[in-house]
Amino acid sequence: MQLKHLIHWRSTLVLLALIVLILMPLGASGYVLGVLTVAFYLAVYAMSWDLLFGYAGEVNFGPTFLVGLGAYGAGLSNSVFSIPVWPSVAIGTFLALVGGLVLAGPALRLRGPYFGLVTLVAVILLEKMIGLFSSYTGGEIGLTIMDVLTISNVGNFYYALGFMVIAAIALRTVARSSIGLILEASGQDPVATEALGFNVTKYKLFAFALSALFSGMAGALMVFYLGSASPGTVVTVFVTIQIIIATIVGGRRTILGPILGAIFLIVAGEVLRPLGQLSNAVVALIALLLLLFAPNGFAGLFARSGGRA
Amino acid sequence: MLHQLVEILADGFVIGAIFALGAAGFTMIFGVSGVLNLAHGSIMVIAALVAWFCAEHTPLGIYGGALVGIAASVASTYLLYGLVIRPLNHSKRIADNERPVFVLTATLLVAIILQGVLDYAFGSSPITTPTLIDGVWRVAGVTIPYSQILIGVIAWLVLGALWYFVTRTRPGKAMLAASMSTTGLALVGYDIRKVQRQVWGLYGLLAGIAGVLLASFTGASSDIAISLTVNAFIIVVLGGLGNVAGSLGAAYIIGFLGTLTAYLISPAIREVPGLLALVLILYIRPQGLFGRH
Amino acid sequence: MFQQQQDRHFRRTLSITALALTGSLAFATTSQSAQAAEPIPVGVIGPSAHIDGRAIFQAAEMAVDEINAAGGIDGRKIELHKYDDQFQATNAVRAYQRAVQQDHVVAMTGVFLSEVGLAMQPWSGRLKTPLIISGAASTKIDQNTHAHYDRFKYTFHTFTNSTFIAKVACDFAHDVLVGQLGYKTAAIFSENAAWTKPVDAEYEKCLPKAGLKVVDKIGFEPNTTDFRPIFNKVQDTKPQVLMTAIAHVGAKAIVQWHQQQVPALMAGANGQGGSSAFWKATNGATDGVIVGTTGAAGAPVTDKTPKFYEDYKKRFGEEPAYDAYTEYDTIYTLKAAIEKAHSTDGAKLVEALEKVKLTGVSGPISFYGPKDAFTHDVVYTPGVTTGVYFQWQDGKQVAIWPPKLAQGKVKLPSFVKAAQ
Repeated sequence: MQLKHLIHWRSTLVLLALIVLILMPLGASGYVLGVLTVAFYLAVYAMSWDLLFGYAGEVNFGPTFLVGLGAYGAGLSNSVFSIPVWPSVAIGTFLALVGGLVLAGPALRLRGPYFGLVTLVAVILLEKMIGLFSSYTGGEIGLTIMDVLTISNVGNFYYALGFMVIAAIALRTVARSSIGLILEASGQDPVATEALGFNVTKYKLFAFALSALFSGMAGALMVFYLGSASPGTVVTVFVTIQIIIATIVGGRRTILGPILGAIFLIVAGEVLRPLGQLSNAVVALIALLLLLFAPNGFAGLFARSGGRA
Repeated sequence: MLHQLVEILADGFVIGAIFALGAAGFTMIFGVSGVLNLAHGSIMVIAALVAWFCAEHTPLGIYGGALVGIAASVASTYLLYGLVIRPLNHSKRIADNERPVFVLTATLLVAIILQGVLDYAFGSSPITTPTLIDGVWRVAGVTIPYSQILIGVIAWLVLGALWYFVTRTRPGKAMLAASMSTTGLALVGYDIRKVQRQVWGLYGLLAGIAGVLLASFTGASSDIAISLTVNAFIIVVLGGLGNVAGSLGAAYIIGFLGTLTAYLISPAIREVPGLLALVLILYIRPQGLFGRH
Repeated sequence: MFQQQQDRHFRRTLSITALALTGSLAFATTSQSAQAAEPIPVGVIGPSAHIDGRAIFQAAEMAVDEINAAGGIDGRKIELHKYDDQFQATNAVRAYQRAVQQDHVVAMTGVFLSEVGLAMQPWSGRLKTPLIISGAASTKIDQNTHAHYDRFKYTFHTFTNSTFIAKVACDFAHDVLVGQLGYKTAAIFSENAAWTKPVDAEYEKCLPKAGLKVVDKIGFEPNTTDFRPIFNKVQDTKPQVLMTAIAHVGAKAIVQWHQQQVPALMAGANGQGGSSAFWKATNGATDGVIVGTTGAAGAPVTDKTPKFYEDYKKRFGEEPAYDAYTEYDTIYTLKAAIEKAHSTDGAKLVEALEKVKLTGVSGPISFYGPKDAFTHDVVYTPGVTTGVYFQWQDGKQVAIWPPKLAQGKVKLPSFVKAAQ
């Protein structure tokens, strides 16, 4: 009875938060909307990563391999081949999907740190490729994009918000369904799960594909929001770290937690901007302290205090 | 053609030894504490930048600067162990099966913090410490700076001392044994915590020396921290996690592979063959080239 | 109580009305005095951790302080907003948006990396706020402005573009490397970046005309930290000169050139080489390197240059890098344009900038028009906007070219071979 009450209370809160976000453009400045737009895309990366990490138990250090494929696939389609925005987004998303299936290969064979290493290598190889073909990609510094989704802050805000809500609903539905349970079981004990008659390979492939689909598409959309793509924004290990921080700080294995984590991370980055180069370090320090003292993240804190009430 | 061969051999010899020094400590702490330290490169860079700073901006000179750099590295590994690794390993709020991921993430965060602080303190432009000795040795049409030869000699002396320490002295033997099996050592009556602390100290020393040598050989900047970490990661995976001798072999394979690529193709893709080799080997022999399982 | 409240309310309404009345009245008579107190926000962007990025910020600061001390622009002070792009195009694009939408800057200046400049360029049209590039060189910036004038007309360029940089280098090579030193062969030594592509192309065309045969083309990634393999390869073709096109790449290329004792003279466009910070970063390995840049110690490119050089050195304790000169000029150019336009509106500023004419510390400043191939680049006058070539000799910059600014002759480093 109490649990039911709690769930009800929480979904009301989520709905309320959503309404506030939808009404946001009425009051907030273009700058605030811009900051939140970036946070929403980061939230999608983090939610997609949570599906693999929180549920399937995969130590995937390569979320930006998927994000980067989506972003650069879309960006290069537009800047090199002059393909319009939406077909470019589709191309980027498709590339990321292929990348997700490529990553799933080693995930099925290797465990723990070895899989983590392979995913890290995938990211570094992608970064090297971008550097090697710098005459098309702009190398480490970044790509010039000719088209954008829209230059209106409000428009971009709604694109990002809408996309994030769709991703959240889809990922949470999957995670809450029997698929999520089987993924979780296979993450903890793949042999036992297999013995129970579940085809672990099939479920894992599905999880990788879904994760790749959303992260790739978010990467592609973000490129056309920013009007540029840089490895530092969509590929490097630092982006991976942001995704991991957002997920863990927000609360892993919750899908919605990472949204809180992403907003926290981006807003903290803006607030700390006057610190210049030190701002990243301070955000990382806050995350480290959270990791040490509140390992279950915001969602964990929230659940605990809710439980007490 | 000959001068290229000579230079590749000379370069690979030095690079391999520096890599081996860095990776030896990295693999030992994995054995003892189960930690894959993703802040490894940052610790090498701390040693490099502090040494450079002291050599350039204080009256300590090159040798004094190198010592301060190595001391800074030892201090950072102790702090990392005491403030982050130990608390996480003993936290009751983290489930055991998730502990490695938390430790991994924490070291990644430490790497970011260090990168920011180093950038702030020293700037991100690459630095090179002044050479220890001037002059070049001309052989077979190649000019090899004396300082490069000296760096190679120092690296091998340290490797030799390490070998002597872990095979011939009591505390050293305990550390090597601990990196293979902590439970076994505990059974024989050793204080595991003390041995762990000592291994972290030894790790700081080795990473520090490697960082200082690197700074005077190819130069260093806060940007290269991540690639140094990945490099060490690759070497110990190839060599077999926790296997010190294996990582020496792997360090040379990676060192020569990179040098060959840099000289014969392009320095821009120096790391790529190593990365590809790694992926390939993991597919065929997941326990590493010299791994034991 | 209630009475009191109403009273206060009434008084407030009255005072607001009065204020509005006087305000509009003042506005109707002289628009300037109404704005008198309001500062003009101007943006400057660059990578703060880089020698050339720091130079941009420092030069902008210096120009703004000077202008404000002298009474500002039509009585309004300039308020400088600094943005660090941290070498990332995306950061720069976001900063540009934030600068315009939140900080309301009337123009963005600076930009060190050409890739960053190219990524920001489409945004100048979208944000309708001038982008005046002082540090990035790529010719493509000007070609884009020419090709898409309607969209890109908000972009201006106070630094001579890559093509001209290479042309000047070839003139120098003809007079000094061939004329004075008798060299016959050169290798192009350039980092792979947007700004060097037009330089390489022009080098290949004009170096042979200047009398240097191009025997090798050496390209490398800007983040290369180890140049020994590259210098090792150079020995196959034995060039007498390495014609440089470097700016992003750190001190390492020069340090290892010195350590390996590469027997070829290093000369050409060198973005960081103008600053004494670079001399320090290389531990003096820069000795003997010939650097093409905007200005140098005691070289009066214009009559304003020496004072700028001295003031800058006194204030910041280092020599100005090439883009310190151009960024300083950029702020004064913007001032001239605002005064000419009597407005800070983007479109009006563009019109005013197109007509601006002044003498800066880097040379005379006016911009090419929409019909010229290099639209909105600073006009290049042969023999005038050449900048200066100097050689590092025992920690000092000694100007060696053009002849009217020369203070000394080239001294070859001990390991560099003289021509037979």
